[in-house]
Amino acid sequence: MTTAVPTSGPTPASVPASAARVVDAVKLYGTGDTRVRALDGVSVDFPAGRFTAIMGPSGSGKSTLMHCAAGLDTLTSGSAFIGDTDIGALGDRRLTLLRRRRIGFVFQSFNLLPTLTVAENITLPLDLAGERPDQEWLDALVDTVGLRDRLHHRPGELSGGQQQRVAVARAFAGSPDVVFADEPTGNLDSRSGQEVLRLLGRTVRQTARTVVMVTHDPVAAAHADEVVFLADGRLVDRMPDPTAERVLDRFKSFAPPPLAQAVTA
Amino acid sequence: MNGTRASLRLSIASLRTHRRRFAGTFVAVLLGVAFLTGTLVMGDTLRASFDTLFADANAGTDAVVRGSDVVTVAGETQGTRQPVGTALLKRIERTPGVAAAAPDIQGAGQLIGADGTPIGGQGPPTLAGNWIDDPELNPYRLAAGRAPAAPGEVVVNRGTAERGGLRIGDTTVLRTPDPVHVRIVGLATFGGQDGMGQVTYTAMTRADAEKYLTPKPGRASAIQVRAGPGTSQRELVDALRPVLPEGVEAVTGQAAAAENRDLISGAFLGLFTTLLLVFSGIVLLVATFSIHNTFAIVVAQRTRENALLRALGAARRQVLASTLVEAGAVAVIASAAGLAGGIGIAAALQALFPAVGFPFPDGSLVIGAVSLLLPLTVGVLVCLGSAVLPAVRAGRTAPLAALRESAVDDSGASRTRALAGPVLLVASVGVILTGALAAPSVWLSAVGAVLALAAFVVLGPVAATYAVQALGAPLDRLRGVTGRLAGRNALRSPRRTASTATALMIGVAVVSLFTVFGASLKATMNRTVDRSFAGDVAISVPSFGAGGSGLSPRLAPAVDRLPQVAAAVGLGKGVAKVDGAGRALTVTDPAALGKVFDLGRVDGSLAGLGTDGIAVSGTEAAKRALHPGSTARLAFADGKRREFTVRAVYDRSELAGDYVITRQAWAPHRAQDSDSLIAVSFRPGVSTADGRAAVVKTAAAYGNPEVQTRGEYARSSAGGIDMMLTLVYALLALAVLIALLGIANTLTLALHERTREMGLLRAVGQTRSQLRSMVRWESVLVAAFGTAGGLLLGGFLGWVLVEASAGDTAVAFDLPPLRLLVVALVGIAAGVLAGRRPARRAARLNVLRAIAAE
Repeated sequence: MTTAVPTSGPTPASVPASAARVVDAVKLYGTGDTRVRALDGVSVDFPAGRFTAIMGPSGSGKSTLMHCAAGLDTLTSGSAFIGDTDIGALGDRRLTLLRRRRIGFVFQSFNLLPTLTVAENITLPLDLAGERPDQEWLDALVDTVGLRDRLHHRPGELSGGQQQRVAVARAFAGSPDVVFADEPTGNLDSRSGQEVLRLLGRTVRQTARTVVMVTHDPVAAAHADEVVFLADGRLVDRMPDPTAERVLDRFKSFAPPPLAQAVTA
Repeated sequence: MNGTRASLRLSIASLRTHRRRFAGTFVAVLLGVAFLTGTLVMGDTLRASFDTLFADANAGTDAVVRGSDVVTVAGETQGTRQPVGTALLKRIERTPGVAAAAPDIQGAGQLIGADGTPIGGQGPPTLAGNWIDDPELNPYRLAAGRAPAAPGEVVVNRGTAERGGLRIGDTTVLRTPDPVHVRIVGLATFGGQDGMGQVTYTAMTRADAEKYLTPKPGRASAIQVRAGPGTSQRELVDALRPVLPEGVEAVTGQAAAAENRDLISGAFLGLFTTLLLVFSGIVLLVATFSIHNTFAIVVAQRTRENALLRALGAARRQVLASTLVEAGAVAVIASAAGLAGGIGIAAALQALFPAVGFPFPDGSLVIGAVSLLLPLTVGVLVCLGSAVLPAVRAGRTAPLAALRESAVDDSGASRTRALAGPVLLVASVGVILTGALAAPSVWLSAVGAVLALAAFVVLGPVAATYAVQALGAPLDRLRGVTGRLAGRNALRSPRRTASTATALMIGVAVVSLFTVFGASLKATMNRTVDRSFAGDVAISVPSFGAGGSGLSPRLAPAVDRLPQVAAAVGLGKGVAKVDGAGRALTVTDPAALGKVFDLGRVDGSLAGLGTDGIAVSGTEAAKRALHPGSTARLAFADGKRREFTVRAVYDRSELAGDYVITRQAWAPHRAQDSDSLIAVSFRPGVSTADGRAAVVKTAAAYGNPEVQTRGEYARSSAGGIDMMLTLVYALLALAVLIALLGIANTLTLALHERTREMGLLRAVGQTRSQLRSMVRWESVLVAAFGTAGGLLLGGFLGWVLVEASAGDTAVAFDLPPLRLLVVALVGIAAGVLAGRRPARRAARLNVLRAIAAE
């Protein structure tokens, strides 16, 4: 099932160059009896300037896909690209520099360094690179996430939602090619979650950025331009212009038992 | 009790899972205990060896007849005894119960080695005496050759001959201090060893000994007596007592041997073991801080675990007990390992000493009950004591804490600290200043020093915040975000940073204290020479130790006759009781003294002291209410009492000493005539180089003593100080090592807490080398804080020590910038070193797993 999944979106010719993609991605964990195929030959590309959600029940390999695509983990076989760079060929140092310059991250929790202020957290990747931030872009970002009055606070003084918004600002601060978000709303109440998701969507649309988000929440997935579905380590479907209902329906068809949990969680 | 068993089970499980965390604690206790054990075992072994050595060597001597009066001068251990007339020998030999008796003539005699340089003289005494033919009465045994029979023939102890490259048949010079040409005819051993430690011994015929070592024949230092069969030592002494004149006593051989042994134990071993014990105390103090810190962190990290236990129904006492049991287990195992290590160190030293030329007496290690129980107890107490506070804190964990997010001890400086610290600091400074300046007292200053240390410890967390900010400021600019992160991390828990740094602070403080004190002593010597030494060159004996045989009294007149020399004044040493108290006398030509020394203001005149005049220093005169014209009663070691008229009171006693008398006045009371210093001033127009060359040439005929310029003389006077400092540095290296382990351990534990953070940093683009550098800089910051505190405390206490120990004499305080800079660099290098392993481990971190870590 590694053939391209038909999509009803724009024609291939008009699809923009991909910001990130994986080709025949296989990831094995463990050995012998305990061997698990987390990714079983996945090929998928994340088009530039789009907000893509990766959905799937737990154990479907969605987080593994994201980690491998983002250069946090390595594939057992197959290849992963950021733009035209084959990240499988990079050593730890080059990979780190690539993450620093071309990738942004938003994790589920613990996104910020408690010792740094909000402002310092936002510019952390740039500071690590020893680069001066684009002040205009940064100001725009800070306004977009709405944290101007909190810039000199420590993360500990912020609510969970505010912390995630700082993380979003940090992820976009260096104008990366692609931002990976791993269940960014997983630890938030629904209102704060909505805010963060809207923020992600708005940033993509207003500034033509690329976001790849892993989620198991159909409501969250509905904020994306497109949803790719994963099950048992394989890509099973793609859905452009998703709505929460359609995602939920599609989801039910291939993973009834875990879905019930996921949706009610 | 079931509850106890439950907490015991918890402790063991925790120890097993967190073995790594306790590695630092384990090593700190182990090193401290090993040091202490090693010291005690070494001390006991040396003492026992000397006991056997003296008992063996003197086994044949049943009684010693000697002068009963001893004149002891401050700073000298042995004291001077009145000689015994050898005429007594006949009477003793006729006494019932006496099998044999022999005079024992002892003096100083320094042998010149095959290469022309004197053997020994830099510490242990260089002895000369008469060879006693009765083998039972002679502590030395002939190992090769024969006993001296003709004038100029000598027997030398084997160790000395080997050191000097001398063999039987060789001729050389013995300084008594007049050079005597001698031929070695035999080699001797002492108690089966090559010698009595590093003491050199040259034995000549009785006639030679009387000629060179006593002012006139017919006198001996003592008479050794051997009892006939069936007579005990006690009975022998009782039989001898009636035949002895007044001022002469008889003691049993055992008592005399014990006195000799105690002298060595007291002077050498006492100092040696006290010094080592003080340093093991410092090492254990440093270890205490390291251990306390480890437990504090472990407890903080386990807050959630402990809270869960409390929520599940564990009593406060059970949680407390489980932590203490953990500490106890580490303590016992580490102390036991330390005991073994200490015994190993002692054994290694015993094997090593002979290799470096120190003949360590044979014999197995003596491991007394104290050597085992004391270190074990101290090790366990230090470890448990360090864990008590963290354990109490663990017991106080609220069950609710299980639900809280953070498990990190980010506690800052409490208000109590901010209040108690300054109060303590002010109190300590007050006590110290009183002890140092107002009423000079080393004890008061020591109490103040302890208070100051306590103040530093209490104030540590408060100071850490500011200090790390200040020290980290340049880092921020130099190292960018990596430096900033390192600084912020070091600031996270000021209390933890402070207590980690305290261990290093104590080590550095003691190092700088000794550095400053040593430098000040040297500066004092320099100033003394600058102020008081008006001559151009000095001929002196080594200032450290017994000083060999001194200088020939004929050297000063010979130098004085040189055309280049304006004045050459020899100074010898004498002793007498002045109004009942033992005092050192300077024996010289007082009239000429002013030409080579600057004595400051002089009341009266030094010119005409004659045989009944004396000159006294101003301070001593004030103490004893003496003034020109008053009378000082002197009692000499030969039993003679004389009244001296004070003819002059002089101001500066640094070089001249407190009492000056003429050679003529001293001559009737002296044993061996020698000078310890000859001060020479040249005629105008004579260059130092020319003058010195002439003096060196003359001195060559008198055993070739060293001729020093003013600067060299000042430096050599302080020569022992550098040796002491080297020893102190070597000992303190261990304390610094433990502090270093403490920093590494704390850092490792802290990094464990920050696993997710580091994962995040790596994810958003921190390279491995940036991560390593971040950890290293944090370590350096903590070390720099500790080093700065140590330099401050040590420098201050060094000044206090200098002031407090000054007493009446003026001392110079000196902060040696270069040495202190080296100390600072070593402290910071310790930080770099301590950060290495944690940094490497942190860099190996798997990013994904770190992010997912709890």
